[in-house]
Amino acid sequence: MTTRSDPENNEIRALFDLVDFSGGSVLEIGCGDGRLTRRYAEAAAYVTGIDPFEQAIRRAKANQPDSLRSQVEFHHIDFEDFAAARESDMFDITILSWSL
Amino acid sequence: MVHALEEIWRLIKLDGVMVNILPVPEGYSIEVHHDGRIFFAERTRDTLSEDVLQAEAAIKQVLDQGLFIIDQEDEFDFRTYGSSVSEVRAYWEEQNAYEEEPKAEEMLAREETLYAQVEQLLDELGEGAEVAIHERVRIARLSPVK
Repeated sequence: MTTRSDPENNEIRALFDLVDFSGGSVLEIGCGDGRLTRRYAEAAAYVTGIDPFEQAIRRAKANQPDSLRSQVEFHHIDFEDFAAARESDMFDITILSWSL
Repeated sequence: MVHALEEIWRLIKLDGVMVNILPVPEGYSIEVHHDGRIFFAERTRDTLSEDVLQAEAAIKQVLDQGLFIIDQEDEFDFRTYGSSVSEVRAYWEEQNAYEEEPKAEEMLAREETLYAQVEQLLDELGEGAEVAIHERVRIARLSPVK
């Protein structure tokens, strides 16, 4: 058996209570292995997930369902390096995923 | 942390939002569940997490600077379940590989004691018993002020 995180869906319920993802471009900082990303990505227009932990990003890419491949991208990068290469006013929603 | 929040402020569109998901500073509990009941629940620390306190202070600073306002806040319970202590510990160590705050000797010893108690209880309860790490988590939606 493997571990099960939040089978009660408390986290995703709380997230959807706070955010309307429809049509939004999302930046998730600290996406890890994409555990949370996979739960909301379908509702967003486009998701960029970043994490400094290479192994986690490798798993996020491997676990990504085919249905999400065109709208989700994962990057192994520090937030500061990511931000330095980006224009202003790019994202509708930024999620700090247990990462501040 | 404050610089990162300032960069997030720059990257978010005028009508965008930032969501901050962060565990409470009181830390997490180790639990044993069986047949829908909780047989054991102990916190792993008496002190507050320095990492979380620093994160909260950074948020307060950007609120004070007028970069963001909090629209809405909530809390929820987040549990990770496993059938064995080793399974849950391996998961937990991986999730916290980037934690900056080193664990105090006292806290490490307390965790070892708790996990030993949990192992024993899992054996006693038998099939279907699970160990869980229980975190109380805060979630907040903030809007940038531009």
